[in-house]
Amino acid sequence: MPAAPFDYEAPATLADALDLLRERGEDARPLAGGQSLVPLLTLRLARPRLVVDLDRLHELRAVRRTPGALEVGALVRHRALERGEGLLALCPLLQEAAALIGNARVRALGTVGGSVAHADPAAELPAVLRALDGAVVLRSARGERVVDAGDFFVGMLTTALAPGELLTAVRLPLPSPGAGFAVEEFSRRAGDFAVVAAVAVVELDGGAVARARVALAGVGPVPARLDRLEAALRGERLESGAIRRAVAERPLEIDPEGDIHASAEYRRHLAAVLTARALERAAEAAGRAIV
Amino acid sequence: MAESPAATRERLRVVGRRLPRHDARDKVLARTLYAADWQMPGMLEGAVLRSPYPAARITRIDTSRAAACPGVAAVLTARDVPHNILWTDVPGQTSVVGPLRARVQVLADDQVRYQGEAVALVAAETREIADRALELIDVAYEAQPGVFTTEDALRPDAPRVHEEGNVLATWRVRCGDADTALARAHAVVEQTYRCGLIDHAYLEPEAGVAWIDADGVVVVRASTQVIEHFRDVADVLGLPHNKVRVIGPYVGGGFGGKEDVTVEVFLGLLAYRTGRPVRMVWSRQESLLARPKRHPFTLRYRTGAARDGTLLAHRIELTADAGAYAYLSALVLLYATVTAAGPYRVPHVAVDARAVYTNNPPTSAMRGFGAMQMVLGYESQIDQIARRLGLDPVEVRRRSALRRGDRLPVGQALDTHVAVAEAAERAWAALGPPRAPSSPRHRVGRGLACNLQPYGRLVWLRDWASAWVGLEADGSVVVRCGVPDVGGGQASSLCQIAAEALGVEPDRVTVHIADSALTPLAGTTTATRQLYMSGNAVLVAATQLHDEVRRVAARLLETPVEQVALADGAATAGPERRVLLADVVKECARLGVPRSHLGVYHAPAGDPVDLERGGGRVFPDYTFGAHAVEVEVDVDTGAASVRRHVACHDVGRAINPQSVEGQVQGGAVMGLGYGLMEEIIVDRGVNLTTSFASYLIPSALDVPDVEPIIIESGDGKGPFAARGIGEPPIGPPAAAIANAVEDAVGVRITDLPITPEKIARALGLLSGG
Repeated sequence: MPAAPFDYEAPATLADALDLLRERGEDARPLAGGQSLVPLLTLRLARPRLVVDLDRLHELRAVRRTPGALEVGALVRHRALERGEGLLALCPLLQEAAALIGNARVRALGTVGGSVAHADPAAELPAVLRALDGAVVLRSARGERVVDAGDFFVGMLTTALAPGELLTAVRLPLPSPGAGFAVEEFSRRAGDFAVVAAVAVVELDGGAVARARVALAGVGPVPARLDRLEAALRGERLESGAIRRAVAERPLEIDPEGDIHASAEYRRHLAAVLTARALERAAEAAGRAIV
Repeated sequence: MAESPAATRERLRVVGRRLPRHDARDKVLARTLYAADWQMPGMLEGAVLRSPYPAARITRIDTSRAAACPGVAAVLTARDVPHNILWTDVPGQTSVVGPLRARVQVLADDQVRYQGEAVALVAAETREIADRALELIDVAYEAQPGVFTTEDALRPDAPRVHEEGNVLATWRVRCGDADTALARAHAVVEQTYRCGLIDHAYLEPEAGVAWIDADGVVVVRASTQVIEHFRDVADVLGLPHNKVRVIGPYVGGGFGGKEDVTVEVFLGLLAYRTGRPVRMVWSRQESLLARPKRHPFTLRYRTGAARDGTLLAHRIELTADAGAYAYLSALVLLYATVTAAGPYRVPHVAVDARAVYTNNPPTSAMRGFGAMQMVLGYESQIDQIARRLGLDPVEVRRRSALRRGDRLPVGQALDTHVAVAEAAERAWAALGPPRAPSSPRHRVGRGLACNLQPYGRLVWLRDWASAWVGLEADGSVVVRCGVPDVGGGQASSLCQIAAEALGVEPDRVTVHIADSALTPLAGTTTATRQLYMSGNAVLVAATQLHDEVRRVAARLLETPVEQVALADGAATAGPERRVLLADVVKECARLGVPRSHLGVYHAPAGDPVDLERGGGRVFPDYTFGAHAVEVEVDVDTGAASVRRHVACHDVGRAINPQSVEGQVQGGAVMGLGYGLMEEIIVDRGVNLTTSFASYLIPSALDVPDVEPIIIESGDGKGPFAARGIGEPPIGPPAAAIANAVEDAVGVRITDLPITPEKIARALGLLSGG
C-alpha cells in the first residue's frame, strides 16, 4: 500500500530541522534511514503530516572520541558500525551487534539514531546501549539534554523524546581494555528481528569476574539489564560451567510476554540460553585478552 | 515396438535441451507488463471494503458519503451486483452434500462469514480517493458467535456458518478390511498429525485492469491461472459469455491462489458500471488477509505392518478446515482421500474424510491440493514403523513401494512406470556420508519422504485442451494456446515442443497465450496439467502440420514421403536434396494445403467412480518422487535447520531440464517453508499474520541448495512421455524434516510447522510441560 500523503522537507541545517520539528510538533516525524518509519508509513500505522528528512544534516554523521567514551552521530549507518569504520573500531562490540541487524539492505540505510529512537524492544542497538550504560543526546530548539539509556527507553516503541526533540547522538562508554563482549541472538528466520538477543560485557580481575553486564532484547517492552545476575557473578571464578550454573540457579529478572513468534515461556528459556552463551563467550574473550 | 528412452533422447533435437526461457530476459529487465503495470487513459482505481468481523450480520450499509466524495466514480454493494453468486461445480461428489453448495457471494449481502470478506467496491480517480471513500462507507455490523475450529464446528449445537450445516463434504474409501488387518498386524502405529494454514505468498499480489472495448466486450486483463473465469464475470454481470474476454499476462506466481476468481469479477463490475477502465491491485496485507489459503488438516492414522515392515493396513480419518466458503474444498478433500495411503501397496485401507465450515479464512487450491498434506501422515507413519522394527528407512519403503500394475486403494491400476523405490534409493544415496555436527550443541539427523501427486484433472471432468499451430510464409511458426503462464515456463515449453515437431529452432516459434477471445482454450494452469494437456494439444497440432508439410515437401523433392525429414528449418531427403521450409509453405499455399491446425487433446476420460467400492481410475496418472534431507538441531534452543536437501522425481521426460530443476527446487523450498516456519495464525477468526514480518517464509539464507535428481523413465502421458512436475516437489519436505528431526534428537513432531519452540518443548526444555 502506498503511504498516506504527507509534506516533505529536507532542511540543510540542524537548526532548521529543529525549528520545523518545534513548529509542527506531533504532526512531524523525522526521517533518518527510513528502515522503521517507511514501513510504518506504507502500512499507514504512522500518518504524519510532515516528514523531515535528516539526510542533509552532515553534522549528525560524526563520530567523536570523548574521555572514556565514543559519541556516535545519529545518522551513522549500521553498515559503518559493522565495518568498524574509523573511530568506531574502538568499540568492536558495535561491529558484532550491527552485523546482526536485519539484512545487508537494512544495514546499508538504517542508522544508529533511527534504531535507538524507534525503540523496538527486539532491536540490538538499544540493548548495546543498555549493556554499556550509555546515554543519548537529545536536541530541541530549546537546547540539549543527555538522558541515560536506562531512562530513555520508556516502553514498547516509546522513549523519553519530547515533541520537537531530536536524537542527535548516542554516547557509549568504552569498556576497559581487556574486557570481553559477546552478542548472541535467536531469530526465526535469517535477517529478522531477534526473538531474544543478549549482549554481555565481562571484565576480569585475576581470573575472577570483576564486573559483568548483561542486557537482553525481546524479553519485555524495553531492553532489560540483569542486575541480580550481574551482582551474583561478581567475584565468580571462571572454571568450566560456572556461568551456566549461575544463570541456571536463579530465575532471570525478566517478565516476557508471548506473541505469535514465541510464548512467554519459550522467550524465558531462550533468554537463559542466550545469556549463558553470551556471558561465556564474553568471559572467554576477556580471559584471552589477559593472556 | 517402443523406442528405448535413451534412443528417444538421442533422436530429439530441441526437447531435452536446457534452454533459457524466452520470457526470462524481459522479466529480469523489468520489461514484462504484469497485471498491475497496465495503464490506460482515464483509468480509475478500484478498491475493496472488507469485513473486520469473522461472523456478523450487516444491518445497514450507507454509501452516500462515499459516493458524494469528489473523484469517486462508483460505490457498489451487494444490491448493485446483478447476480451475486459465484458457483463452483463439484461433479462426482458422492456424499449427500450436493454440488450447488460450493458457492460464494460476490459481495456480502446481509451476512459476513470471515474477516476480510468483501462488502463493497469503490472506483475512483486515484487510489488515494478510493481509500478515503472506503473509510466513508458506513457499515453497521452486529457481531455474531462464530466457530473457529473444526472440533467446535462439528458440535451439534455449534453456530451454523451456512444454513445447511457445517459439514461441507465427505468422502470414504474402503479397500479390504482395515480393522481386521490392523488387529492381526505385527506392528501398529497410531498418531494424529496437524498441518497448518498457509498462504501462497507469491511475489505478485492479485491485480488486474478491466475495460469495455469498442465492440462492447468487457475485457479483464488480470493475474490469473484461469482465463475461463470470463464465464464467471459474465454470469455475475448477467452478460452472454461471449461478451466477456479475459487476458492473462505473465503471472508473478500462482500456486493455486489465482485458481479461484480474485479481482476479475470486481473489476468487471466496476468497469461495467462506470464505462471506464479500472485497475485493482491488492496490497500484500489484503492478499494475506482475504484470499483463500491452504487447508489445515487433522490426520489420524492407524497403520499396521508385518514383522518385515511390509505395510498391511491404514485406518485414516481426515478433517479439513474449509473456512467460511466452499471454493474447491470438496475437490481438495478428494485428492487427499485418494492419495492418503501414499505411494505404497497397502492391501487394507479405510479412509473417512470430511471438510468442515468455520469462520476462518476460506481455504481452496494450493500447490499440492490436498495430496501434499497427506505426506506428513503416511511418511511419518512408515518412518515410525521402520524405527519400531529396526529397519532401514529405504528398505521399509522399497518393500511396499507401488509398481506398475499395482492398484491404489480407490481401485485405479497404475499403467505407467512407478519410480518410488528408485527415487527413494537415489535421493538417500545422494546424501553421501554423514557429516559432523557444526558444534557440540548440535545433533545431525536424516529423513526420507516419498510421495505421489496426480497430474491432470479428475477423469470424470473429461478434461481437454486445444492449441493452434501455424506456419507463416517465411517458415516461422506461430503457436496460439490459451495457457496462462504462471512462471513455470508454460509458454516456452510449448515453443520447444512445436520446434521439435516441426524441425525448427525454438527462436523461430512465437507463442501467443492466455487470451480467451483469441487463443484456443487450454483449460486452467492448475493440477500439474498444462505441460501435459496443452503440451499434448500443441504436439497434436504440430504433428498434423508436420505430416502435411512433409507430404508437400516430398512432392517438391520428388522423393517418397518416408525419406523426408524436417530439420533446421528445411525439409531434407538425404544430404543432397533440401528445400527450405519457407518454400514448402509457399507450395502449400499454392496447392491449398492448410498451413495451420487446431489440435485438441482429450485426457483419459471416465465416469465418476464410487471411491468406497474401489471404482477404478480417478486421475490420468501420477508423478512419483522422494526427498532426503539432513537437518541439524540445536539442543539448547530447539532450532532445526536443513543442511542438505536432495529432491528426486520421475518426470518421464524433461522437456526443458532447466525448467524442471527450477520447479523441483522451488517446490522443495516452498515445502521446506511449510515444514519449518510458515503459518497463518488466526485468533478466533482474526488473522494475526497479514504482513511478511509476521507471516514467515524462508529467505535464501534459510534454505540449502536443493540438489535435484531428475529421473527420465521415458514413460508418462504428456508430450514425449513427460509427466507433470509443477506440484509434486512441494509434497515431501515437511515429512522428511519431521523424520530427520526424530533421527537427530529422538522426538517426533506431529504438528506443522516444526518450530524451534515445539522441538524445545518436546525435548523437555520448557518447564511448563
